[in-house]
Amino acid sequence: MTEPIAEWKSQTNARDTLVASKAKALRPPLTPEEQNRPFAKYYREPYPHDPKKLAIMDERADASKAIYPEQLNDLLNPGYLDLEIGWCNLPNGAGFIASMNQYPGVTAEMIDWWFVWHTLEDLRYRIWYPPAHAGLVISPETRRRFLDPAVPLKEKNWGQTHHVTEDCECGQDNIDITFLSPKDFGFDMERWKQPNVSTFAGGFGWAVPVDKKEDSLTVPALMCHIFRDIPGGIEHRTRFWMGYRMSNGKPELTLPPGVAVPQPAVQGLARHNVKEFANLGRMLPEIYAEMKGELIV
Amino acid sequence: MPIKMMAASRKRPGLTKAEYFRYIEHYHGTIAREEPSKIVTYIQYHVIDGAFGVLSDKTHQQVAERDCVVELAFENFRDMIMALDNPGGQPSKAAQDGKFFADEPRNIVLMAEEEEIAVPTPMPKFNPGLGFVSGVGAVKVLQYLMRDDEVFREDYYRYWHEAHAAAMEATPAMRSQLRRCVLNRRCRLSDNDFEARRHFGMVDMPIYDAVAAYWFDTMEQVGAFRDYNEALQAYPKRFADWSRSFFLYTRPVAIVRDRPGVAPAA
Repeated sequence: MTEPIAEWKSQTNARDTLVASKAKALRPPLTPEEQNRPFAKYYREPYPHDPKKLAIMDERADASKAIYPEQLNDLLNPGYLDLEIGWCNLPNGAGFIASMNQYPGVTAEMIDWWFVWHTLEDLRYRIWYPPAHAGLVISPETRRRFLDPAVPLKEKNWGQTHHVTEDCECGQDNIDITFLSPKDFGFDMERWKQPNVSTFAGGFGWAVPVDKKEDSLTVPALMCHIFRDIPGGIEHRTRFWMGYRMSNGKPELTLPPGVAVPQPAVQGLARHNVKEFANLGRMLPEIYAEMKGELIV
Repeated sequence: MPIKMMAASRKRPGLTKAEYFRYIEHYHGTIAREEPSKIVTYIQYHVIDGAFGVLSDKTHQQVAERDCVVELAFENFRDMIMALDNPGGQPSKAAQDGKFFADEPRNIVLMAEEEEIAVPTPMPKFNPGLGFVSGVGAVKVLQYLMRDDEVFREDYYRYWHEAHAAAMEATPAMRSQLRRCVLNRRCRLSDNDFEARRHFGMVDMPIYDAVAAYWFDTMEQVGAFRDYNEALQAYPKRFADWSRSFFLYTRPVAIVRDRPGVAPAA
């Protein structure tokens, strides 16, 4: 820790982070210090619901319309894929989730800003979706990179890990999400341009329950949030492939033969995704303007 | 090589080293070789010497004895699972044989992926009599690096790279004698090994997030590692718990490295 600014105050070490996650998972009330943060009001604001999309997530989607991670470049095609909102298990057992949102008034720069800004203290992550987001910690080296003005906003997350505590409707998990550049995630950089895409946030994660037991599983997933400009805003398309990990730059299924990702885990993450991004789309233009697009508050 | 399993074990009670090495190489090795599986390579590293902890420790903080490290390499995770378990979910014959020579509850097992680290003086391709395969020295040092639990895993790898570069810079002998270097990074899939731990009755298995491997031509060159290791430990950013780290000087014994249609590891 070098810089005496608020953005360094929340830095903890790896051991303390793990221990503290149990208390964070209980989502305690904000501390007086947190209540005085200029963005604390978002924690108290009602968050919107998207009942239409949630209703779609009530049922399992047709797996023949899903795509495998090896097909992710289809997301750069114009128009839409067969399955843009829904979840299912792929024939190989992996969990698949697709979701889509349009955010009026949101730009690619706001997205890039958000995916760095929200990592710098727990409260920034908690306001994203208060009922389920419990905390987020990054390592000192990642923080140094995020606060380094020489690293472009769009590239700050590349190769960096967010240590998140959140509940995707199956109990609070500790999830290590490592973000990758679009190239390292497997996108065709020849096609990585407007109007196919305006920005991206994605990588791979490992999730384990906060109250980890001897036989708790640590489960991998690939996460893809890809954005493209639309008139007056931005379109966000999400894909998750649960049970896959990245191996030497390529997706690899880690499920033993005959094993499938359990339905509650896939459906839970699908529903959580709809809820958290409904709230983010609502508040992002406002909070970005209030924070003036800066990382340091 | 996409993924491999590394197991560091010590001989079971009642065996001499000679009995242990004879059994593991000739009897156990034969079982492993004859068992149909998708193992790409299976190399045993017989331990010649090694050190656990640091000189400033008054006593060892954990089991300070390892006699062999085995490395089983596979093309992918599914192949590994299917090789280690029979279709009925039972351990393979080779896995069941372990109890006859190893102190299984004290095994240290991890799944790892290799990161090749460039070295300044790699071995010439023509080097008869020194390497057991071309491009590899005859002695391999395996350094089990316990992460300091205050350091995040991603920073630990960063700092190891920095410390390694600084230590190489500080030790001319290492720069000239090190023939190959690989950082074996622990794969998170290792977290899900509870069935194996239960099966083998493993007790508080220590977790190592990395095992660095260094190849030298002969034992005469291994002294360079000592200087390097001191420089590594002196690196100002803390990343390892040196009292729980250890290194082994080993002799490679190839059990499987010639499966038809499979390119052997260098």
